[in-house]
Amino acid sequence: MSFIARLALALTLIAPLWAASLHAQPTFSPNKGGTAPAPAPETGSPGGGGVFRPSGTEVTPPPAPPPTTTTTAPAAAPGLDWGNSQVDVVYAEPKDPQFLPIRERLMRRQVLEQLRLFLSPLRLPRKLLVQLDQCNAERRPYQPGGPVTICYEYIAKIEQIAPRNQPAGGLPRETMIVGAFVQAVLHEVAVATFDILDIPVWGRETDAADKLAGFIMVQFGKDVALKIMIGAAWYFDASERTWNESDFASEQSPEAQRFFNYLCIAFGSDPASFKFLIDQNLLPIRRAQRCTGEFYALRAAFLRTLMPHVDQQLLKRVQSATWLMLDEPK
Amino acid sequence: MRCLKIAAMAAVTAAGMVAQPADSVAQSRPQELAANTRVIIDYIDPRMQRSEATLDRLRKRQVLEDLSLFLSPLRLPRVLRVRTKSCGAVNAFYVPGEWAINLCYEYYENLEAIAPQGTSPQGYTRDEVVVGGFIDAIFHELGHALFDILNIPVFGREEDAADQLSAFLMLQFGKDVARTTIRGAAFTYLASKNPRTRTEFADEHGAPAQRFFNYICLAYGGEPDAFREYVDRGVLPKARAEQCPREYALVRRAFAKTIYPHIDVELMKKVQSVQWLRPTDGRK
Repeated sequence: MSFIARLALALTLIAPLWAASLHAQPTFSPNKGGTAPAPAPETGSPGGGGVFRPSGTEVTPPPAPPPTTTTTAPAAAPGLDWGNSQVDVVYAEPKDPQFLPIRERLMRRQVLEQLRLFLSPLRLPRKLLVQLDQCNAERRPYQPGGPVTICYEYIAKIEQIAPRNQPAGGLPRETMIVGAFVQAVLHEVAVATFDILDIPVWGRETDAADKLAGFIMVQFGKDVALKIMIGAAWYFDASERTWNESDFASEQSPEAQRFFNYLCIAFGSDPASFKFLIDQNLLPIRRAQRCTGEFYALRAAFLRTLMPHVDQQLLKRVQSATWLMLDEPK
Repeated sequence: MRCLKIAAMAAVTAAGMVAQPADSVAQSRPQELAANTRVIIDYIDPRMQRSEATLDRLRKRQVLEDLSLFLSPLRLPRVLRVRTKSCGAVNAFYVPGEWAINLCYEYYENLEAIAPQGTSPQGYTRDEVVVGGFIDAIFHELGHALFDILNIPVFGREEDAADQLSAFLMLQFGKDVARTTIRGAAFTYLASKNPRTRTEFADEHGAPAQRFFNYICLAYGGEPDAFREYVDRGVLPKARAEQCPREYALVRRAFAKTIYPHIDVELMKKVQSVQWLRPTDGRK
């Protein structure tokens, strides 16, 4: 049985939620499009993985959504500012018209505005520009002092790799699109954050950024973690290519390693919820045995280096919002 | 090459070139340093007869005594144990529960087995492989030990972080030491098999080829002149080479922020002025 078939089977067995349709666009969303305020994420996870989990039950409902328009959404839409954010966002206009629909879609969903909200607890000493842009490459690596760029080419690649025909019992393509997109954005923001906050980074920077992104991705409850961690891992699995000698010179890690790293972070954060990864032989037991320890080290690194730069009040607000629509109707 | 240079330098020092300013001449006597009292060393008797010779060689060379001197600038909040022993496997490992680095006789013996008799087709010498390979094992495990004992945040893969610390230390003692040790360490990863199947990529270590390039890249970033040949010969691809100064700077920053505060700077300067490697190192 292929990886994804085993995964889908496992998920339908363990998480009936997954049988429901998952039609989220690749977006962060602090609110559920005009429906009642989202319930707060469950407090505490069985594995005790979340440092973000608020200890109280206080819920701050997210602000009312601004009117959705199909025209240009300015960076700081009214009602989409919780203050403190040093993040500016831009949807740069691509030269190649083939990327216009992607830009249009993400603007309509206010993806970057919501990222800006999501990042508002992070106290940065300077402005950080996060932009979507045409790069004529899949990635435009962050340069110290520069902006964070997500390339339209990368988003197009994710959409191209995500299977159009959902096999019976399989996962919808949105799972991959959302997971891979969230992963890519948080990865690039992580690299910039290391630089701006002068964080000591032991280990390869790209792996460190993957791990920090993964750590953030498992902080918002089991359902969100299941969706985006599996989506990101699935993308790495699907885009895997054969690595030959000189390929290993890349500062990026092979997709297969990133795949296992994401499964390992997920399992380490919450062994009970992600036990199916072992049962289904997706994560080899030899690696799985180390994942709790790896996650513990990751959390310790986060608490020591980044937590001092996080506004706790705004963090609670971010945590009590629902960021990914798991069951939004079509 | 390395041997000739070091032998020449040793001869110069021995001849007493007193005209040289003291700090520009490498000293040859680590005895001027005092052992780190928080490092407990132990040569454990081997279980295998064939490792008796290995023990004998390591003991005569005072490998662990030198390590304790080398670590003298380090202020450790706990006692670190470093031991050589039989493991029944080619290995070197840190045991958190014992705050202990274990260096297996089998690891040293394997280095002697994989080292070229004279010079490998790619130009690596036997001495580089045995000396650099063993120092790498010690420094890599020292990395794990320091991350643990000093409670250092490690965001990336810890195995790579330990490699980075090893390479960074190797690059703080001048070009000759850097070439011997980095090249020797890098060779051991050239000699290993890379993962092919998906499951093999699940390992918490990077692929040997990745580790090879990580060492060469940090070395090129830290000592560009001594390692430029890797770029000129096309071994280190240009795309990666361009990143290497930044990669080295990141490691230096991490070291400065997390380990340097635990170091006695005056002692460190003394340690850096010692000629740690000897021309006969790696020879039977």
